[in-house]
Amino acid sequence: MRLTSIDGAGVDRWPGSAHEARRFIGDRVPQCSDVEGLTHESDRYGRADEPPALVEPAVTEGRVFRSIAVADPRTVRGTSGFSAFLDGTQNIEIVSQLYGIPFVWGTVAAAVRLRVNRRLVAWPKVAPSVRRRYYIPFRYVDDLLPVLLNDARVVDTAKADSSGAFPSKHPAALMERAVQKVQEDRELLERELAEAWCAMEAGVLYVDGSITSSSTVSRSTNAVGVIKTHRRLYAGGDAFRVLVGMARGERTSVFSVAPRSRHPVSSWYLRVRSAAGRDALFGLVRVEAAECEDMTNRADEISRWILAEGAPLALPDGRWDKMAYGIRDTEEFLRAIS
Amino acid sequence: MSEPFGRVAASEPLGRVVATERRPNTPHEFHFWTAISSPVGIGTIVRVDGANPVDGQIPRIYGVVVEGFSYTDLQSPMHDVIGHDGSPASAGFSATERAEIRLYTAAVLRQIPEEPLQPVPMGEVFLSGEEDVAVALRMDGYLKEGARTGIPIGVYRAGATDSVIYLDADFLLGPEAAHLNISGMSGLATKTSAVEWLLASVFAHFPESKGSIAAVCFNVKGPDLCYLDQPGHLEESDRALYEKMGVKPGPFENVRYFAPYNAKGFGLNTLRSNEALLDNITPLTWGLREVLQYAEVLLNKDDIDAKADALIDFIRERVVDRQFDKDPYLSREHTVQSFGDLEEWFRDLLRGLEGKNSESWRTHHIATIRKVRNRLSNISTRCAGLVTDSGAVSDLPFGSFDDRAVYVVDVATLEEDAQDLIFARIVTKLREHLERRDLGVKNLIVFVDELNKYAPGDGQDTYVRKMLLDIAERGRYLGLVLFSAQQFRSQVHRRVVGNSGTALFGRMDADELATPGYSILSLATRTKLATLEKGQLMVRHPHFTQPIFVRFPRPAVMQGRDGAERYPQSAEISLDTALYRALRTLDRGVSFAWVKDMVALYDEPELLRARNATLLRKPDDVKTFFEAQLRRVIPSQSAAFNSGAAATGAMPVRSLPLGDPYES
Repeated sequence: MRLTSIDGAGVDRWPGSAHEARRFIGDRVPQCSDVEGLTHESDRYGRADEPPALVEPAVTEGRVFRSIAVADPRTVRGTSGFSAFLDGTQNIEIVSQLYGIPFVWGTVAAAVRLRVNRRLVAWPKVAPSVRRRYYIPFRYVDDLLPVLLNDARVVDTAKADSSGAFPSKHPAALMERAVQKVQEDRELLERELAEAWCAMEAGVLYVDGSITSSSTVSRSTNAVGVIKTHRRLYAGGDAFRVLVGMARGERTSVFSVAPRSRHPVSSWYLRVRSAAGRDALFGLVRVEAAECEDMTNRADEISRWILAEGAPLALPDGRWDKMAYGIRDTEEFLRAIS
Repeated sequence: MSEPFGRVAASEPLGRVVATERRPNTPHEFHFWTAISSPVGIGTIVRVDGANPVDGQIPRIYGVVVEGFSYTDLQSPMHDVIGHDGSPASAGFSATERAEIRLYTAAVLRQIPEEPLQPVPMGEVFLSGEEDVAVALRMDGYLKEGARTGIPIGVYRAGATDSVIYLDADFLLGPEAAHLNISGMSGLATKTSAVEWLLASVFAHFPESKGSIAAVCFNVKGPDLCYLDQPGHLEESDRALYEKMGVKPGPFENVRYFAPYNAKGFGLNTLRSNEALLDNITPLTWGLREVLQYAEVLLNKDDIDAKADALIDFIRERVVDRQFDKDPYLSREHTVQSFGDLEEWFRDLLRGLEGKNSESWRTHHIATIRKVRNRLSNISTRCAGLVTDSGAVSDLPFGSFDDRAVYVVDVATLEEDAQDLIFARIVTKLREHLERRDLGVKNLIVFVDELNKYAPGDGQDTYVRKMLLDIAERGRYLGLVLFSAQQFRSQVHRRVVGNSGTALFGRMDADELATPGYSILSLATRTKLATLEKGQLMVRHPHFTQPIFVRFPRPAVMQGRDGAERYPQSAEISLDTALYRALRTLDRGVSFAWVKDMVALYDEPELLRARNATLLRKPDDVKTFFEAQLRRVIPSQSAAFNSGAAATGAMPVRSLPLGDPYES
């Protein structure tokens, strides 16, 4: 399929894959050259992640940061109260370049998977979202067609940041900015779905990642965020020893998390699998939930639900020690539709 | 929107076609997935509606499911063990079940349009309804009003679909193709039941335009076919099937049984010897002429070398039924009409040869003569009850077969030689009559069970096997159709099963399914065949491009085991009881006291000969006719009757006395 016709109002058909995206942009920016099979790999161009940090926890449950058993380690599997799972995916690919400037094709998707009779199906009330966009640094590409400049599906990755500084022309810097934009798009999709859930459903949603980006979600008892990566570890000082010494089925005291430009929530760590013989963060998740009056019981209850999600295993995903099967299912679903 | 895992409504798609580079669709096979709870199984007929038109027509593809796969996203069994801490019991408490797929492979039955023949496109998959099934199996071609040649074989069931499957009479009973073969395990495959049901269906639906039809069934084991005229037990579900398929749920209305006598000659050698069932059973007895025509059947290759064959041929052509005189080696004239006469002839001839110290007679060496005498004389012993010394013949009604009649020849309890002889002679006679178009019916079905025994794939060539091959290869042109059954199809001669246009399979033995003949079936289809319930069959028919599974009702006739319990076989009976029972079938006025008087007056062979003659003639006045056969052996009466009209009482059994009121 040749996608060469452009009418005055815009593009006749938007690409549905990286292959189409490569041909599409090649037809409109003839000077650029195709780049084959170069997906975004960690550390190739640098990371958009924040640097590792150890932060003192603001404990709100009791006075000291301690471990609390919420389930018998031998019989941690109980009943889960989660009704659905929310996750998002992103796929970033450099489809072409113009004198070293990367043209990035990003696909973001998010979905809620509802649990019905122990099986997961698409949430019928709000369809899964898939968005496909170009991420191009306008500043460094001359003579870009107006039809692309004016299309909301073409994102400028060379805008000035809050301090007024533009990214350099270094491909790694441009790539890092593209990755950041794609992440923002994915988080936006996830946030829209989570808010829709909180508005429409009474059950509790298992959100893969933080819920602090939305004021609605962060204050709702219908959503629980489960964070698997720990670049920022709320275990400064003596808390660190408590954290790494936790056994399976134990949680930490509840502490408050209030990131800058985000919304405060209650949080705690939970060891869902024994770390014996493994690294310190094996089987460790951080849970985020809306603050409530009886936070101790709420944290115990949610912790038991998360422990109950430990089977089936999320293998062969590399993060299986922390990932619930429902999240893996959602990722597989998104991989199928995006 | 349908329930995520609930039942699929008939109008809703139940699956979607999928194809990958590693597992692509072809013009003859496609793959589709369904919901976990869909009613699809091996043998289900489905319809695919293509998404894009071909030559302006949306393609429709019909297929039958031949393989099924189920798997989850689990990559290693070890992951499941770890996930449940090595405790299978805890697996049941998982909050979520793994994503699971039901993936099916279907073999294409028909594509519309048929040209251009393309790989099956992506599309939605629907459960086939009744009309779809008719199209898929090309039954629409022979179920047209006015040209209907469909014979119901059973009902195909899937989900809410309950569709009658028809065989094409032109391809089941000729002339396009013919013959039916059924295979399956003993006791579980319901082979006999299937044939009984199919005969009823053929009789009910055989097109009028094709003329009359009858069946000859050889009952070769147990009481299987002994009660076709007795009603059997039917469940309501069976009656519903009969109604749906338009067949009357009752026993056959016109059934006649044939069986030879037992060795003593008192009673019939059949499991259907109960007095209450003797009305429609006829003795089967043959004489020397009938047997000599088929001497080859009873004599093995060692017996019938060229010399012996020449002598047998001479006897057949020049001795039997002729006055044989003017021979220097014979002491008197001979008229050979029975085995007894033949033995007398042999004895006289050998005595003459020995007296003149001669080693040959008319180019036949004395050793050959002795050998042939030994073998032929032995036949009446080996086939006692069937072959009579007297030469009396009681046979099937060749020439006056009735339409929709079943003729059962019970050979179940006979020696193998006698079975072979009966089979060879009857089938040959049937073929001869059909060739001359004077059998009485235009089409005839011959049912033979235990084909493993009668037409084996290996072993020496036998007369019976040659005959079966002849029927299989030429029968359809004559209207002679073979319905055959066996346990192991792989061990039957390839040309017999190969010429069967229609094949039925009941539950099969796993060893049999492992033979090369079944390699064209998928593993799942073979597994289903190995586990078929009673009343289920897999059908192969020329119009069906793939085998189809059907259900059929219980036959509406009494089953062999039930019949044997309800009508137990007569115990060994005395001569007077045998005569009484036999003659009572012709005349209820015959009293036991009268029979006892007869037995007191006459000797056993004479009485049996008189009985046989009476049964053969079926006279109006049974007692008078019976007595007339005995007169010549009463010396004291000869003078008294000298001047009377019945003075010819000493005439042979085959002749009637002068002035006999029953002479015609």
